[in-house]
Amino acid sequence: MGSQNASAISGVMALALATACGNAVSPQISPISTPADAPDLSLQGVALARLSEGRIVARGTADRLDYQRAGARLQASRGGGVIQPEPGSRLAALGSVRFVADRVDGEIANRKGVASGAVRVDAERGDVARTERIYYDGDFLRSDTRVAAAGPGYRVEGSGLLARTDGSVIQLTDGVKGQLQMESRP
Amino acid sequence: MTGAVLLLAAAALPSGPLDFKARDMRIEPQDRRVVLDGDVHLSRDDLNVTGEHAVAEYAKEQRAPPRRPRGRKEASDAIVGGQSVERFTVIGNVHVQRGSRTADGEHGVVDVKGQTLVLTGTAQTPPIVRDGSETLSGERILLRLDSEDVDVVRPKVVLRRSLAEEGQPVPVKVEADHLLLLQARRLARFTDDVIVRRGDAVVRSPRMEARYDGEGQLTKLELRGGVDVRQGERRATGQNADYDAKARTLVLVGDPKLYDQGDVLTGDRIDLALDSKEVHVERARGRLRPEAHKGERGAP
Repeated sequence: MGSQNASAISGVMALALATACGNAVSPQISPISTPADAPDLSLQGVALARLSEGRIVARGTADRLDYQRAGARLQASRGGGVIQPEPGSRLAALGSVRFVADRVDGEIANRKGVASGAVRVDAERGDVARTERIYYDGDFLRSDTRVAAAGPGYRVEGSGLLARTDGSVIQLTDGVKGQLQMESRP
Repeated sequence: MTGAVLLLAAAALPSGPLDFKARDMRIEPQDRRVVLDGDVHLSRDDLNVTGEHAVAEYAKEQRAPPRRPRGRKEASDAIVGGQSVERFTVIGNVHVQRGSRTADGEHGVVDVKGQTLVLTGTAQTPPIVRDGSETLSGERILLRLDSEDVDVVRPKVVLRRSLAEEGQPVPVKVEADHLLLLQARRLARFTDDVIVRRGDAVVRSPRMEARYDGEGQLTKLELRGGVDVRQGERRATGQNADYDAKARTLVLVGDPKLYDQGDVLTGDRIDLALDSKEVHVERARGRLRPEAHKGERGAP
């Protein structure tokens, strides 16, 4: 049920990853690139954690992370992360949420981003969601590619996704079909 | 009479996945429910339900979801998760089909654990069950999914085919406060303010049972607890009455009385033929007023 929740997290995570990246101490710095669009900072084998009030709220990894100061652009390959929803939040019912994507592109200043390529989200509760691309824009996550999700008591495919990052809206759109598990008879 | 309707619920709804289609699906994990919007289709075996919106509510108890071993290929028919829907509500132009029978209403609730489907509507458009030309409506129609019973509050039944009449069949309309259809017993039990209308005949009784044969054809109506029959100027009463659907005669017993233009007849039993309007009184006694019948055909 909450896979889309988890999907929503991926955008947040991308932003978190980007934000953290700006201050991160890289374990390995790549050689300075000469092309104009070369990143100002390129990290490989990145691992990061984001803290809030002394609590780890998100962790992330990426095989490679490039940052361009102009436009505050971020690009990560084979990125992944884990979010711990705030207790009592709408997402808390899902437990921790893990996501991976082949590529994450973000603009930190504009709070925009896109995760693409085998985007997968797993929630501790048992939800799994897969899609090819998710856009993050402010407080919203959108996908215009097929979304397949399954979890406790449901399995669904949709043509698109619309979600708020706080979990208040999680909606598969533009034609959905699937199965709902009905309770067994006593 | 309600024989065809008796056959409405064919078999119990088995547990397992419920297939759905819709325009959008909203997931509300905190409220443990899923909302489907736009051209909703739900199906499970021979049960199909459509409507404008649907809300699936999950059981409250939290059960640990089964974890699939890593790398194992996902089976397409795998049971979906460890939680299950305990109730779903369908709203707006609800249409139910099961086998050849259909039902319509504005609001439908399926209680999966209770194995019931309750249909309601509005005063203008009450819920209705159809089987061929026969219809059954009421304020609230409960279809049992695990047995073959139907429970109707304030039923209004219009039946045309079950009387097996020659020529043009006369529709029989039945109203009551409550109707319980017991398929296994081939029985329809009407209770509280039962009114049966057939042509110009109106029969009232506190309770009535309709019995059917194996083909769903009405064989008998049993009215109990005080019966009042009116047909034109004629009125008959009795404690109980049986209606033979094939012979189309109503037999009143239990201090039966016939009132007809001032005549009052009583006997051990009174037989009324609803079509020919002939009356047979067994061990008749009473008061006749010949002057009231002057001018009638055959009168002196």
